[in-house]
Amino acid sequence: NTSVFGDSIKVFVRVRPLTQGTGLTTDGDQNLCLTVTSPNTIRLLSKPEPRTFTYDHVADMNTSQDSVFSSVAKNIVESCMNGYNGTIFAYGQTGSGKTFTMLGPSELDNFTDELRGVIPRSFEYLFFLINREAERSGQSKSFLCKCSFIEIYNEQIYDLLDTASASLFLRENIKKGVFVEGAVEKFVNSAAEAYQVLSMGWRNRRVASTSMNRESSRSHAVFTMTLESKESINEVVNIRMSQLNLVDLAGSERQKDTHTEGSRLKEASSINRSLMCLGQVIMALVDVSNGKNRHICYRDSKLTFLLRDSLGGNAKTYIIANVHPGSKCFGETLSTLQFAQRAKLIKNKAVINEDTQGNVR
Amino acid sequence: MASVNSDEWRAVCDKFTNAQNLTEVESRNDPENDPFRSKYKARELLREIYCSLKSFEAGEGEEESGGESGEQRPTEQPVDGQREDGQGISGDSPAGMRAAKLGAVEYYLGVNHVDTEELSAGQEHLMNCMKLLDRCRVSSENVSLFIHVRNQLGILWAGRDETEMAQGFLETAESNYQRYMKEDGSPPIDMTEYFTSEENLLTHQERTKRFELAYTHTMYYLAQVYQNLGETERAATYCHSTLQRQLQLNQFNPMEWALNAATLSQYYITKGRYMEGRHCLSAATVISGLAGEVPSEAAAQESETESERREHLRQKRAEIARCWIKYCLNLLQDSKKLLEDNIGELDTDRQDELKRARRREEEEEEKGRKSALLFGSEDTFDSIASLEEKVLCLFPLDFTEARSVFLVGQNYVTQAKEYFQMDGYVTDHIEILQDHSSLFRALAFFEEDLERRCKMHKRRVDMLEPICNDLNSQYYLLIRRQLMFELAETYSEMMDLKLTLANRQADTQSLDNHTIKKFNSLCSASAKYFQMFLDSLCSPEGKFPEILEEEVLRPALVARFRVARLHSRLISSVPPVQLENLNRSLENYKYVVQYCEAHPEAAAAAETELELSKEMVGLLPLKINRLKARMAANN
Repeated sequence: NTSVFGDSIKVFVRVRPLTQGTGLTTDGDQNLCLTVTSPNTIRLLSKPEPRTFTYDHVADMNTSQDSVFSSVAKNIVESCMNGYNGTIFAYGQTGSGKTFTMLGPSELDNFTDELRGVIPRSFEYLFFLINREAERSGQSKSFLCKCSFIEIYNEQIYDLLDTASASLFLRENIKKGVFVEGAVEKFVNSAAEAYQVLSMGWRNRRVASTSMNRESSRSHAVFTMTLESKESINEVVNIRMSQLNLVDLAGSERQKDTHTEGSRLKEASSINRSLMCLGQVIMALVDVSNGKNRHICYRDSKLTFLLRDSLGGNAKTYIIANVHPGSKCFGETLSTLQFAQRAKLIKNKAVINEDTQGNVR
Repeated sequence: MASVNSDEWRAVCDKFTNAQNLTEVESRNDPENDPFRSKYKARELLREIYCSLKSFEAGEGEEESGGESGEQRPTEQPVDGQREDGQGISGDSPAGMRAAKLGAVEYYLGVNHVDTEELSAGQEHLMNCMKLLDRCRVSSENVSLFIHVRNQLGILWAGRDETEMAQGFLETAESNYQRYMKEDGSPPIDMTEYFTSEENLLTHQERTKRFELAYTHTMYYLAQVYQNLGETERAATYCHSTLQRQLQLNQFNPMEWALNAATLSQYYITKGRYMEGRHCLSAATVISGLAGEVPSEAAAQESETESERREHLRQKRAEIARCWIKYCLNLLQDSKKLLEDNIGELDTDRQDELKRARRREEEEEEKGRKSALLFGSEDTFDSIASLEEKVLCLFPLDFTEARSVFLVGQNYVTQAKEYFQMDGYVTDHIEILQDHSSLFRALAFFEEDLERRCKMHKRRVDMLEPICNDLNSQYYLLIRRQLMFELAETYSEMMDLKLTLANRQADTQSLDNHTIKKFNSLCSASAKYFQMFLDSLCSPEGKFPEILEEEVLRPALVARFRVARLHSRLISSVPPVQLENLNRSLENYKYVVQYCEAHPEAAAAAETELELSKEMVGLLPLKINRLKARMAANN
């Protein structure tokens, strides 16, 4: 595909190995509910007919961390160097391997391990490219890299790098775009430093144990790396900014609040008996396709607003959908696979308000 | 059953109260790393209650009629359609009461499991409840439980994408309610009362309130089910009745209600139903007023609660104002569509015809108004009606009417901008400006004086141009593209108006220098913004894409075509400049033709433009050659 913008959202499905002795309810589940039939198709053994899903890439249980990185993140990191914004999302049920894919084994602090995930590998690669570029250009090109790490929990934003701070607000500025007001930004000079910032924040995330799962992430975590390159050619200074967002979404079974749900009903909250979401129901009724111009009083979820730019437009996005192959997870796996298929359709469209009358006079 | 006053029974009641308290109050304070602690505790209590109830039964040695013992029959998937409730034990008999009590515990256990993410277990308990109730006739003792359990099952099945299943449960709940209200209608017992002592029974008023609320939830869930099934009209009706019931029962938060009504207005607007849309908006404005005064800035600085309240009220009111803007805008635009002829000018025959039709319909209007769904309580009805009178809901048919709608819209623009300021709310602020610009554009259609029409377009340029140039092109790419396109079109519109005016004044084709200069500058400005739009499609390296993405395909082809036309229209008496303009023009026409040749599927996106481009690609070289020949001859 020669288009520069072509296919800005790609989907990678990864099947984790069966669990053993992890305390998950899926332990000992030896019955599989799916098979990987080719590098881009997966067959779900649903009844009465098995169903086949197609994605940009499907990785089976034996796929190495390095090959996940090569297919998903390599390109995105490279385009960040070229001034594009890039985002990698990890999506899936709790226990399906999101954290392993993104970070690596949780007890691991040494990021040279073979099992390290997409995030440490992206850091390494990014700094490899930065150093190479800086060297090649002599003195003319310099880079500045800073990180922030926030968490979205119950539609509130918290700074993972400054746990003492109260919840933060999203704001917009004509020059900076959408930003989290007051979020700490740390300058980093190497992959190791970036990794340090990441692990510091990671420990502050909200996790919870339920009888279903040993550890379930209740929040969306967004690690943002802002890359600024400065190039001076003949006294003209050229500044380019780009962002790399690494997003670990809350377990998909928890995501009643984002646009990820299928036809789940919004419930009346039993505490204050409020029908708060009625507006969202109506919102779904309001059709945009007939070209009418309408306003919806309900703001985007914080996550979609923050990453608005990553869903279409001039950004590159990869969604890693993690699934557990066990038959006990059939329901969640099906819904993850369906989400991943819908994700390809997400686009941030700009409707050009074009005059159709009187074009030709 | 243990007697109502026995100690065992009292212990059961205490456990129940405790479980309710754990579920509804304590659970809110559970730590984040152990979020279901209280719910798990409540679950244990409910299980104990269940065992006690069972043992009371056994103690009294009554026959069980099967089906509710420990081992369940294999559960066939039941669909809760319209079922006859005729047979079975009566609800208020001892057997019926026992079934209802056991059913209620199963219900609470079911909800508890669903809340703690154990859906299948939850489903099993809820189905057990259904089975217990199956044997009873609907009565004031159990009707509330009938409805609650079906609401829950509806939610559960909808969550699994089994919408029809959910629909069955909810529709049965709806018909249960309606039948009960028709046949009995006395305030029914609330399920919590099964486990309360005599002296703590609820008042009739409280019973009614709780029951009506459960049914309101049924309406609310059905609205969603119909929406998921694609039955939007029906879904909207259920949204409407949910809102109306909230008002009647006095069970609402004013601001929340107002926002919901305002959102519903947008549904009606997109369906072209302005009378309903206006009614929802007027109700939204009136009810939002019940949320109280906006705290002053000074008060907000004093306390954090006041500051939050101020923020909240201002934002929501601004949102409602934006819904009003859309109302005015769509009304003007729809009316423009009705009135314009094939070149986009006012069709006066059509105007007269519509005016006559309106006079005929005016008498009908009163009747239509009464049959429409209305909101309001005794207190608010008049205020809503008087707010409605301030703006038309019929299509404006001439400048005076259009202007009155425009002014209302513009007033809401000012209100909305007070909150959604550029600093902090860039996207919202620009959207409001775009609407303001569109309001002007629609109004200009009704303006007969071309000079004044031109000034309206100038206002649009003035509000959009500075922003378009200031916005960060990376983060606001999509908005900027919209702005560039709109600016290009506005300049082009102004250019045409100037030319028409000049031709009118100077009977001949000869234009004075001043007019030519004006014309050329508008023409170049238009071309500049089309070109900026095209440049925005380029990669960071400045390369134009070889394949245009679907959503920019038409705009890109149209922009190329328009650039071509604009260059051929530039007026110059200097041959080399003329040549350059014609070459630019040809190059852009060629692009359109060649792109559509290489990608035949694109042809449909810009049919007219393609046809004319082909023609021009044939004609322009002749013109260019003639010009070249003339230039050579003169040299």
